[in-house]
Amino acid sequence: MSENIAIHVNYGKAASSSYDTTFAGSGAQHRKASSRDVPFLLRSGGDGLRRCMGLIDFVLRVAAFGPTLAAAISIGTSDERLSVFTNFFQFRARFDDFPAFTFFMVANAIAAGYMVLSLPFSAATIMSSKATGVKLLLLVCDTIMAMLLTAAAAAATAMVYVAHEGNLRANWVPICLQFHGFCQRTSGAVIASFLAVFVLMILIVMAACTMRRHHRG
Amino acid sequence: MKESVEHGETSSKAPLSKGVSKGVSILDVILRFVAIIGALASAIAMGTTNQTLPFFTQFIRFKAQYNDLPTLTFFVVANSIVCAYLILSLPLSIVHVIRSRAKYSRLILIFFDAAMLALVTAGASAAAAIVYLAHKGNVRANWLAICQQFDSFCERISGSLIGSFATMVVLVLLIFLSAIALARR
Repeated sequence: MSENIAIHVNYGKAASSSYDTTFAGSGAQHRKASSRDVPFLLRSGGDGLRRCMGLIDFVLRVAAFGPTLAAAISIGTSDERLSVFTNFFQFRARFDDFPAFTFFMVANAIAAGYMVLSLPFSAATIMSSKATGVKLLLLVCDTIMAMLLTAAAAAATAMVYVAHEGNLRANWVPICLQFHGFCQRTSGAVIASFLAVFVLMILIVMAACTMRRHHRG
Repeated sequence: MKESVEHGETSSKAPLSKGVSKGVSILDVILRFVAIIGALASAIAMGTTNQTLPFFTQFIRFKAQYNDLPTLTFFVVANSIVCAYLILSLPLSIVHVIRSRAKYSRLILIFFDAAMLALVTAGASAAAAIVYLAHKGNVRANWLAICQQFDSFCERISGSLIGSFATMVVLVLLIFLSAIALARR
């Protein structure tokens, strides 16, 4: 009778080992078999859901690393020379002629490095259930990175817009009419960076959700 | 037995932790006011730009307004949206001061705060890129620095960026405060 009450109290505390030790009897073998049959993610109630979201967090971080790295590389290697030159245009376009693109490349490189470095911390939050400090640190750093990436992507978008459309009032000529490859490359890099920002936003909201759910235990 | 000991511990810590949560919620309300002022000031300062030069040449038109540059239009719109959202979320955070037990509303607040942070960051940094271009021009693309002609227009648009960046920082602090309040529960 007391063993049954002990089982009730220990349920949901991620102590599947105490499951085995508090039970003595023929029922114990049945319980042991079932706790080994249930997969890691679904082992005990709320814990399984938390581990599932931790795994999704890890996978999303790997998924956000790709677009940021691709954007940084694709803008860093953008260099186009024209075969003609006129009185008004110089005949070469590179990313460091535009300070906004330089900032964009640096920010994306920093974000890609951060994604890789935060992978072990994310793995640590999956393994241990008491890691509130690590979760809070990851949330803070994710917010800062999302802000940095959004700023870089928006500045590059403004530049790409002016390069595509020009501006009548300020007499800025749209250079995309001449530099096709440069424009396509930078536009693609901006799109990839916005994808990474979206994934980072999902990570922030998920971290806030699991932080709320976790502290029950 | 274990449960009664735990209950005893939490009841002795309760007044201090309740005071801290109330402090966090009050700080949240104050920061929201600051962010409202920043976003509103930015939107108004950018939206009322209008400079007409007394002369005109062949190459440069003689009037500058914020909607001649679509990025600055986006800036004004984004700041207005963020200001409206912050005013609407003020009652919710005042409710959090009174009842700090609220779980789901804090989560909703974090979600919308993050979305508004993305919007205001995008608007502010796109406008910063354009303002930099207006100040320095670009040698390669042969874009003239228009600030040399329209100096009061330039001063206005540069100054209105400050309020927007302050709103951005305050929104980041608001997200952190809500996350701390959630983690303490």
